[in-house]
Amino acid sequence: MKRISAFAAAGWLLAGLTTLGATSNAAAPKDIPIGVVLPLTGREAKPGQYQREGIDLAIKQINEKGGVFVRDLNQKLPLREVFYDDGSDQSKSAGLTERAMSSDNVEAVLGGYSTALGEAESVMPDRYQTPWITTGAAATSIFNRGYQWIFGTLSPVDLLGYTTAQFLGTLVDAGKLRKGLKLALALENTDHGVDYGNGIKKWIGEHNGYFTVVFSESFDLGSPDFSGLLQKVKNAHADIFLADAHLQDYITMHRQYVQAGMHHTMISYGARGPETDARKALGDATDYVFAGIWWSKSLPYPQVKKFVDDYKGFTGREPDSWYAATAYEAVRALATAIEKGGTLKKQTVRDELRKLDLEESLLPGQVLRFGKGGQVDTPFVIVQNKPGGKVDLVYPKDAANGEAVVPAQK
Amino acid sequence: MDAADYVNLIVSALLLAGIYAAMSVGMTIVYGVMKIVNLAHAGFLMLGAYFVLELYERLNIDPLLGSVLAFPVFLVAGMLVHWLLVRRVPVSDQPTLASLLLMFGLWLVLQNLGYLIWGNSDRSILTPRTLSSIHFGPITVPTVRLLVFIPAVCSLGLLELVLRKTWYGRAVRALMQNRYAGRLTGIPVEKMARLTFGVGIGFAGAAGGLLAQLYSFSPDFGRGFLLRSFVIIVLGGLESFWGAAAGALVLALVETFSILVLPAGYQPAIAFSLLVVALVLFPGGIAGIFAKKRRWA
Amino acid sequence: MKAASVPMGRFLNYRVAAWGATLIVLGILPWGGISPNLTRLLFTSLVWVITSVAWSLLGGLTGQVSFGFAVFYGLGAYTAAMGINAGLDPLAAFAISGVVAAIASLLIGLPTFRLRGPYFAIATIGVSEAVRVVMTNLSFTGGASGYRIAEHGTFRPLEHYYTALGVAALAVGTSAWVHQSKFGLSLLAVREDEEAAADIGVNPLKTKLLVHLLAATLTGIAGGVYARYAAFIHPDGVFGFQTSVAILLMPIIGGAVTVAGPVIGAFVYGFVQEELVAAFPQFHLLLYGALLIVIILFEPGGVVGWLGKLWAWVKRTRRKSALASVG
Repeated sequence: MKRISAFAAAGWLLAGLTTLGATSNAAAPKDIPIGVVLPLTGREAKPGQYQREGIDLAIKQINEKGGVFVRDLNQKLPLREVFYDDGSDQSKSAGLTERAMSSDNVEAVLGGYSTALGEAESVMPDRYQTPWITTGAAATSIFNRGYQWIFGTLSPVDLLGYTTAQFLGTLVDAGKLRKGLKLALALENTDHGVDYGNGIKKWIGEHNGYFTVVFSESFDLGSPDFSGLLQKVKNAHADIFLADAHLQDYITMHRQYVQAGMHHTMISYGARGPETDARKALGDATDYVFAGIWWSKSLPYPQVKKFVDDYKGFTGREPDSWYAATAYEAVRALATAIEKGGTLKKQTVRDELRKLDLEESLLPGQVLRFGKGGQVDTPFVIVQNKPGGKVDLVYPKDAANGEAVVPAQK
Repeated sequence: MDAADYVNLIVSALLLAGIYAAMSVGMTIVYGVMKIVNLAHAGFLMLGAYFVLELYERLNIDPLLGSVLAFPVFLVAGMLVHWLLVRRVPVSDQPTLASLLLMFGLWLVLQNLGYLIWGNSDRSILTPRTLSSIHFGPITVPTVRLLVFIPAVCSLGLLELVLRKTWYGRAVRALMQNRYAGRLTGIPVEKMARLTFGVGIGFAGAAGGLLAQLYSFSPDFGRGFLLRSFVIIVLGGLESFWGAAAGALVLALVETFSILVLPAGYQPAIAFSLLVVALVLFPGGIAGIFAKKRRWA
Repeated sequence: MKAASVPMGRFLNYRVAAWGATLIVLGILPWGGISPNLTRLLFTSLVWVITSVAWSLLGGLTGQVSFGFAVFYGLGAYTAAMGINAGLDPLAAFAISGVVAAIASLLIGLPTFRLRGPYFAIATIGVSEAVRVVMTNLSFTGGASGYRIAEHGTFRPLEHYYTALGVAALAVGTSAWVHQSKFGLSLLAVREDEEAAADIGVNPLKTKLLVHLLAATLTGIAGGVYARYAAFIHPDGVFGFQTSVAILLMPIIGGAVTVAGPVIGAFVYGFVQEELVAAFPQFHLLLYGALLIVIILFEPGGVVGWLGKLWAWVKRTRRKSALASVG
């Protein structure tokens, strides 16, 4: 008897769930829903929050002007955010993106902070013929698959590695570093780390005699102890230490690095360096650490200054590292594409995104253009932490507001 | 690598072992006496870390002192949790899934509380000591690791003392061996359970405070330590404290030295393979080799 | 417990009819015009039904609590993914997934089934995590970059759905068969007392290995079905500890020792989880944890146990009112 009641209940349950699925069709759209799938909890929570803030700021500013003008409907429609927290979990991230695209009828989905989450989400846009712009995933493996509906406002990570090596090369040319220095690489065990390492090695291969890589290994993210790895780095007797890590690992590793009394001529943690949380955790041990990032608030463009002020007004603090800017630009790109296309038809929006030439962009180079695979290839900037909590933009020269410093040997 | 490097690594592993032992002793107590696998341990580690952080930032209390203060606070909290939740779950002399899932649910709740109260930033405790090192000749010891090691080992020693010399300790050991017989000899099992659970959580809070001085933390903190705690208390034998210490030492040594011979990416696999190998070869853990065989039934 | 003591005949017909009806409803729902999102949720739940039922055979009936089922799920996922990329028909790829998982179950079971109680559970964590780390480092399966399935042709959600439904039906059917078979009895015997079981002629090790193999095969196929749908898999996802935990949570929620329990648990998990996340981004962990606590404290028998109590209460009330109306 128990089992029959179980089935009866299951039957009712199913029937109830079915009614949940019934969707009503609105006669005319009253707004433009935009799906946003970002981590607010879990390992990637902090950058996810920053990216959401960037998106929210952009939406707020657009809606304050009445919204996006859709020529087809001859009216301005506000943007409406449909937000999902994927908890830094890949299958949730993919599932929620699917949900937004298939059930919430969003115009596009923005999201995918961090490579793994972005990769999981990237399967969905083509499946549901809905544009997708990733604001936080930069692995080339996403964009060389021939997908037709994906875009990304982050330049490829191998360009990050390439630019890092290039920057060091300019220091050699300026006489601040000797030629033939040895590099030790410690890369996070992800696509990001792999691409970063490849970018560095590519530059070195193209420029003979500048540097040699004497050590290169991957490590597992989230490890509580890097003593063994750092010992290996020590044994390699390199001059320059280049790591690629997430924020928590950067803090843990650098702390142990300093405690072990290690020293290298130049140190970098990939795209991490100027983060406030790291400064708070490590104090002046972060001085002179440099990072290659997708955007810096020190870029000397007027639109960047305005963005920094607006962001400060919106959240009460200045943007931390690059996270909010790429998200902000994604919304602007989408809104512009809708206006240019004059319709809410997703195919047209996608085509407009492909042709987009967004001027006065916050990104380095001031123009946002999606490349062939959908990824932008804006140049990277190198920032370096300076004493007193300052962060200087040190490369490229035309955007720099400070000199690169090679700290004296201990 | 010269001799000094090796010694440095061994010292590093030793210090790490002390931390690991302190972190897992809370789980060992709770498991040994109540046969509850406390997955919420990670949540209490996290809360302990934030507790010490708040004391440091608001009242300028040194984190070491803060960790000591955490113990009685979390002891009471643990007893409260026991009274509210844990005592309602049927206990037996075998671990139950029910208790395990209850603790898992509690962990989720604690995490969310953490997010609501402190947000999702990575916090750290930065004191003048954090980045300094002490040098004993060619050997470098990070100050804060040593400072954390000492209370960790002392707390273990204190616990052993309590277990051997006090009535409470004898009662705990009796319960660990045989719960029903313990009841027969007049031990007030429920009250003991409450107090012991509190002690376990107290250790978790204190350990969290110690860990907070070494690592950055967010409400997600503790997950990696949870798995490592499993490895340790199994390596050491689930019911012995010296076993837990030995297990911590073995794990720390293996983790630190395995990187020298293998690519760093495989390091966690070593720890877990070690776990499986140890379990299969020594079903009672390291301490089980020395203790009498117990019958599970 | 209840397995073979259930009287056959009329009761059996009720059960078969009920399951049959459920199957038919699930079969026609997608045609009935439900939203794509609901189809997706049902699909996910069906995949979880497979793992849930599989786990319950080992964990519920046989009492061997494994915390490492993600290893079979992941192996199945990767095998199927590589097979499909190599040009295999998906169904063939799923079959091979099952075989690979089965072999793994033997390799894992042989050493670990010597362990009892929590030691076995912890050993399974060790194995699962070790495999995850190795897969993260192995370059020919993509390593830390994950692995993509390049399937050409349009995406047909119904194809995935009906595959999942078919395998789920197979899993439930297998479970039902086990529950009323002599094999099921021997599983219960092993759960209650291994030594006593050995005394009456049941070989505990062989029995455990067999049910482990069955459970692993089903879980491996489930992993394959999932992989084909998701088209991108990564070691941290399919081999992750949180996946193992999810796999064991569902039968517990539903009632691990019954046939229907794991099914109910899978649907509850599949729907509730996501709706919570969608509706309460700030509180979903707290709500989910509280739900677990409530279930454990008030009805450890899971949903099935609770429904049984409800039904018994209904019968009592009906009887009371019937008596009252007579007397």
